[in-house]
Amino acid sequence: MNTNLFLQQLLNGLSIGSVYAIFALGYTLVYSILGIINLAHGAIFTLGAYFTYALMGGNFGFNGLLANAALPIKLPFAISLILGSILAGLVGVVMERVAFQPLRRQGSDPLLTVVSSLGVAVVIVNLIQYLVGAESYTYPANTYGNLPPAINFGSPENPIPIRSVQVVIFAVSVVIVAILTYFINQTKYGKAMQAIAEDPTTASLLGINSDRFIILTFFISSFLAGLAGTLVASSVSIAGPYFGITFGLRGLAVIVLGGLGSIPGAVLGGLVIGLVEAFVPAEYSGYKDAVAFGILFIMLLVRPQGLLGRRFIQKV
Amino acid sequence: MNNAIARTSALLSTCTLLLTGCGGGTSTVTSSPTNSPNSTATNTTATTGTLSSAIPIGIAVAQTSNVALLGQEQVAGAKLAEKYFNSKGGVNGTPIKLVFQDTSGDEAGAINAFQTLINKDKVIGIVGPTLSQQAFSADPVAERAKVPIIGPSNTAKNIPEIGDYVARVSAPVSVVAPNSVKAALKQNPQLKKVAVFYAQNDAFSKSETEIFQQTVKDQGLELVTVQKFQTSDTDFQSQATNAINLKPDLVIISGLAADGGNLVRQLRELGYKGLIVGGNGLNTSNLLSVCKALCNGVLIAQAYSPEHPSEINAAFRKAYIDEYKKEPPQFSAQAFAAVQVYVEALQSLDKNSKVNKLQLPELRTQLNKQILAGTYNTPLGEIGFTPIGEVVQKDFYVAQIKMEKDGSQGKFTFLK
Repeated sequence: MNTNLFLQQLLNGLSIGSVYAIFALGYTLVYSILGIINLAHGAIFTLGAYFTYALMGGNFGFNGLLANAALPIKLPFAISLILGSILAGLVGVVMERVAFQPLRRQGSDPLLTVVSSLGVAVVIVNLIQYLVGAESYTYPANTYGNLPPAINFGSPENPIPIRSVQVVIFAVSVVIVAILTYFINQTKYGKAMQAIAEDPTTASLLGINSDRFIILTFFISSFLAGLAGTLVASSVSIAGPYFGITFGLRGLAVIVLGGLGSIPGAVLGGLVIGLVEAFVPAEYSGYKDAVAFGILFIMLLVRPQGLLGRRFIQKV
Repeated sequence: MNNAIARTSALLSTCTLLLTGCGGGTSTVTSSPTNSPNSTATNTTATTGTLSSAIPIGIAVAQTSNVALLGQEQVAGAKLAEKYFNSKGGVNGTPIKLVFQDTSGDEAGAINAFQTLINKDKVIGIVGPTLSQQAFSADPVAERAKVPIIGPSNTAKNIPEIGDYVARVSAPVSVVAPNSVKAALKQNPQLKKVAVFYAQNDAFSKSETEIFQQTVKDQGLELVTVQKFQTSDTDFQSQATNAINLKPDLVIISGLAADGGNLVRQLRELGYKGLIVGGNGLNTSNLLSVCKALCNGVLIAQAYSPEHPSEINAAFRKAYIDEYKKEPPQFSAQAFAAVQVYVEALQSLDKNSKVNKLQLPELRTQLNKQILAGTYNTPLGEIGFTPIGEVVQKDFYVAQIKMEKDGSQGKFTFLK
């Protein structure tokens, strides 16, 4: 592999890795606070992308029950992105009340919570298809204003092009990690969430309203899913209602590799998987999924706590 | 929380399996048409009885999963056919009734849909499934039950060979695909280097790419790279830059609308300026909403043209535009044609022996023979069948996508 191609694939890996990372952040947040895997995260990711599309275009697309239904206004991309993510966050809160809280109250096995979230995912995906159809939807070409389609990181003779939208996603994921890390570690709310993660009963005795913070956790996680969904959709279009499901599977690999519950781990895991995929030789390029999950299995065998996860210490 | 890590690992593995089963994911390729369906399939036995009122025809296509893009177009075409032929008196006065079953995008879904249509709905024949991949698994179920199958969009090799009761109205890729490469050569006689991309998890795309690669060799062109992907993929930056570095003059893509459209978009954004040929999976207006303005110029071989001059196509085209406000796509036309074949075969059969007097197993067998014996003037043009059920079609086309500058509108323009 020549230097040019190496650099090209390095940047390709970082750009797709940042997509995985931004997806996995919300995923890992719920796990870090509640110790559960929310398989509906991919469906919320898809919903966020659709919400933004509708707010931006002032319509719900051209198929399904909502075909050609118009909204009274069309909003700029930035405002649509924020509102769409907030709506996704609110759906996450409703989902928590409907699918997670009743099970938590009954002290159900975590597996039931996983199955419940899977049920929510399937319902959301099918609801999306019923309302807006199976078509792909693409944001307008001027979503990012006058940004050129690609940025050349090489010379004119040896170009190393990276799509501009990927650079945007990379930058946003860095900013989100910084904000999230600050929020969790430096603010009163973040510390309360950590306390609940450590011991919900003791946290309640200390006056922390667990229920309220669990809602907050789901809101932030789903907000991030919606935000990620929109950003990724601006890069690759909303590839139908199942759009987020594929990312959901990859997201599992990312958070296990990075360390379950570790926010920096989610970013690192995403970047590592992105880089490994980028360097899969051309003739095996269709086996990227197998590579990602192969790494996951090896990691589980060699270092079960992941790259940045904490080793589980059994108390005796 | 004993063994938390082990529990989590088990959960993750379970969830992965569960989610993969949700549809929209990948599926394994059935390499042999003689493979029997998986163990969930039960042997169906033909049910007895005669028809009471409307004649039930099964439509087993993908209404959910990532294949629904194509399946929904087929549903639209089939419904228009039902309306059209019933308005003309159905089968000598007896209306037809379409019974829809969703196959989703995988083999298990197709098998379940077939079994329901055969045993519960007691259909006289089935139009479906959407994918060749599904046909290799589900068609043997119908074959064993002696129920006629007409594939509306199965274009892979060896589909009619699955059995005596399996036919298709979709011309094989080996006949259709080479036309688009020849059209590309006509537009750029200087082209030499070709890069091929295909979805390796889709039986049809694998079959199609073999034809494309053979055509490239037959035309004396240089195949510089073959890049693989999955139909569920969305990011193609690595594959696209790999190919672009080899400076191809032509890129050929075999995939479906969402992945294919994304690949077209990313190739263009990363600076590829040469010609692009799309396979049959990209032959849908749904592609236009994925790559928008960047779809401009993509060449796709066609088994259908909305401009085909015939009375039935004019009626179909008008009905489609009235209903959906756009030109009819190939998948809708083929589904319409498949229903038409059933109706006209039933009409011919009914003249010899009243179809509502025949026992169901006998009717299915007689109908299968009649289907293969007839010729049909459909929106696709005149079609017939070989003794094994392969479609015989005269007219093929190549379309080039023409988009508005802002990417809001686009259409397939047919090359002379």
